[in-house]
Amino acid sequence: MAVHKRSYHSYAGELSPAWSRFLIVSRYAYENALSSRFLVAFFAICFFYPLGCALALYMNHNERLLAIFHVSSFFAVDARFFYHFQNVQGALAFILTALVGPGLVSPDLANHALPLYFCWPFSRVEYVLGKLFVLVSMLSLVTWIPGEVLYLIQSGLAGARWMWSNLWIAASIFLGSAIEILVFSLLALALSAWIKRKTVAGAALLGVFFFGAGLGQAINTVLRTRNGSLVDITNLIASVVMPLFHQQSRITVPADRASLALLAISAFCLFLLEKKVRAYEVVRG
Amino acid sequence: MSFERLPWALWRAQILAILRLEVRKTFFTRRGAWIYLLAFAPVVLYAAHSFVELKNGGHGDLGEDSHIFAAIFQFFFLRLAIFFGCVGIFGNLFRGEVLEKSLHYYFLAPLRREVLVVGKFLSGLLAATVIFSASTLLQFISVYCYFSSNTLQEFLFHEHGLAHLAAYLGVTLLACIGYGSVFLAAGLLFRNPLIPTVVILVWEAVNGFLPAILQQMSVIFYLKSLCPVAVNESMTGDSHSLLDLLAVNPSPAAPATAILGLLVLCLIILALSSLQVRRMQIDYGAE
Amino acid sequence: MNAQDKDIPLLAKEGPRVAAGQGDTETHHPPAPPQLRRGVDDQRIVFEDVSKFYGEVLGVNRVNLSIPPGITSLVGPNGSGKTTLMNLMTGLVAPTRGRITLLGMSPREPERLFHKVGYCTQFDSFPKGLTGYQFVYSYLRLFGHSHPAAARLAEQAIDRVNLADAAHRLIAGYSKGMRQRIKLAQAMCHKPTVLVLDEPLNGLDPLIRAETIALFRSLAQEGLYVIISSHVLHEVDALSDQVVLLSNGYVVAEGQIHGVREEIHEHPMQILIRCNRPGDFASRIFQQEYVVEARILADGQGLLVKTRDADRFYLLLNRIAQSGISIESVAPADDDVLSVYEYLIGAEEPPK
Repeated sequence: MAVHKRSYHSYAGELSPAWSRFLIVSRYAYENALSSRFLVAFFAICFFYPLGCALALYMNHNERLLAIFHVSSFFAVDARFFYHFQNVQGALAFILTALVGPGLVSPDLANHALPLYFCWPFSRVEYVLGKLFVLVSMLSLVTWIPGEVLYLIQSGLAGARWMWSNLWIAASIFLGSAIEILVFSLLALALSAWIKRKTVAGAALLGVFFFGAGLGQAINTVLRTRNGSLVDITNLIASVVMPLFHQQSRITVPADRASLALLAISAFCLFLLEKKVRAYEVVRG
Repeated sequence: MSFERLPWALWRAQILAILRLEVRKTFFTRRGAWIYLLAFAPVVLYAAHSFVELKNGGHGDLGEDSHIFAAIFQFFFLRLAIFFGCVGIFGNLFRGEVLEKSLHYYFLAPLRREVLVVGKFLSGLLAATVIFSASTLLQFISVYCYFSSNTLQEFLFHEHGLAHLAAYLGVTLLACIGYGSVFLAAGLLFRNPLIPTVVILVWEAVNGFLPAILQQMSVIFYLKSLCPVAVNESMTGDSHSLLDLLAVNPSPAAPATAILGLLVLCLIILALSSLQVRRMQIDYGAE
Repeated sequence: MNAQDKDIPLLAKEGPRVAAGQGDTETHHPPAPPQLRRGVDDQRIVFEDVSKFYGEVLGVNRVNLSIPPGITSLVGPNGSGKTTLMNLMTGLVAPTRGRITLLGMSPREPERLFHKVGYCTQFDSFPKGLTGYQFVYSYLRLFGHSHPAAARLAEQAIDRVNLADAAHRLIAGYSKGMRQRIKLAQAMCHKPTVLVLDEPLNGLDPLIRAETIALFRSLAQEGLYVIISSHVLHEVDALSDQVVLLSNGYVVAEGQIHGVREEIHEHPMQILIRCNRPGDFASRIFQQEYVVEARILADGQGLLVKTRDADRFYLLLNRIAQSGISIESVAPADDDVLSVYEYLIGAEEPPK
């Protein structure tokens, strides 16, 4: 067919910055996740405890209230308080991960969308980063961000002296939450990438934690050891986070071994993601 | 139509046909590999323990090993391995077909929906029973295998060894029946079976701390009643801990009540599931 | 069903009205469900005032149909209700209102119905891990057939769709056309009386399409009821004994194409005539009040005539042919499914 007039030109206009393109994936993943009313309600509930703690901190410094009860303070605001806060919000963060995580990669796998993503100038790393960003941002909003806000509130109420002498707690809040967020997010993404059905991926995430805890106990009981706790992810996280808050418990494994185990789990999750997040799918048989 | 004139031969043939189709999906598939891991993890543990004991001269305490076996069986094998195994096997029987868009093939056959439910349940039960009973048997063998043959003969044939094994195998079968029927129904009623799984898991986990009357509303209560060796609910081993104070240990149900109760529960759930399947419409777009 | 069957109205329509009888230009309400004798019911597929709503979304509304043996095509745009009708008649979905019977049986009795009915759905999904042969064989065992009988029937069905070579390969490795054919084999392996086929020619190459169409014709000649939904209108034309046109969940028209076309009075019939003196021909026919338009073709060797009464026009044609004008060919220009589709369903689409 002869071409009389070449009127077609490819786009030569402005492009968005390359570094930010992974956020496009996050935007649509957010839209998808927040379309669930149950999730939105649960996300809102995750802020009840921080609000309650903020109120408690205020009351703990309210002189009139203290005078009524003739006490200098209702409770000690120390590392133990923030560690307990971390535990509660960590549990809520886990449930949030189980609700959001499975729906990130599974639907793309099941609906053969990955080839569509990767036939554009969009890398697998950007894809994973985009999906990870959703989890990291949501979990941050319910863990270290309210934790740091509480720290600031306490610093404001207790004074600069308290703040400087407990600055390490602020660092512990961030670091402890970061460890939880990283482990939860990578596990959820890896399971979501390997299991096409998001409900099964969610169940698998629950199973990994509950079954791991049970298996760890079983290993310890049968083999009369404490190394069984190395398969209990909850225990591993506690073993790493507790020393950050200068807390101790007899059921944890040494922090160095727990850190190595968590690193190994994270590396394994990245390996699983690398295997599955591809532009093609091999159907055997 | 009288009972005798019902087409039993046809239903039997159809159930066998369903079994043939379903068993192919449950046994020896890569997707089901995690169920085998769940089931046989304790076997590996016991085998490792026995190996270590043999290397150290085999001076174990049979009573202590029996108690540990009982604890692992009740707290790990029943509540986690069989529980999650049944979630995977039975929860997938209908929900999996809907998600894979293949349920309509059954609905387009001259097959009563009740027969379909029975066939699917039996296929799941066959798979679960074979896997978990084999595991129970292997666990039993591997936990005691390092003892001398005289000790083993004494324990098995003159004490209660074989009776314990029979009891554990029976409890395994009943656990598959009980959890299986519950999760088959959950797969039919809930689009996201995660919710009932979590609810039942938490309910069964805190079962030991509930009042006696509420404890009886769970599968695990009847299964524990049938276990030959009783184990205290609290695993902390610390008699002054708060968990020990909260633990409630009501008298176990009589074996006949436990067995009959679980079977009746299973039948009721299957009957309700059949009604649900009868009303079911194929609408894959909604999934 | 044919145009001479006066007991059953050829057109039943909500919305834009199509006149039902001769000289009847008044708008009318849809006719009441046909009150057929019970014996006739047992030989037809009957929809009595059937509606199906998916929540607030309309699937089909107030459908009254009586489908006889032969090949019946369901034609309509996407979302018109073709698949819904097929799912209703096979019991995969239940009607919100109304009653459906197939050869006297209800879709709520699958244990009776599916000995006589086979349905090849639009879903391109299969049970995992099965070969083509296992797929057909396993579902035959569900019917209660013994192993030898099921094996024999499976082989026959697979042979009939020319998949014998690939029968023992996993379906996951099949091409789209092969998957479509194995579904077809599974739908007809138990030798049903009614075969319901939802877009059965999807994904088939031209050669296989022709073979499959021949297969449907042979099945219809054996006395089966074959109900097909399709978008490929020229194939519907070639294949079908009767059509049911659907639009927005309503039955717009049903019957043989010729009969349906004759009922569409607001669109005069177009007839293409090849002759040596088109001018003379046109001057003769313009005298008749039932001839609306005559347009001489660009090559000057024929003309396109629009007439409100095709029967009287053909009679006139005979007289004109005897008067010396040489007529080479006479053919209806819009007596096909495409034209009917455009007139009835295209008219309802809002102008773009």
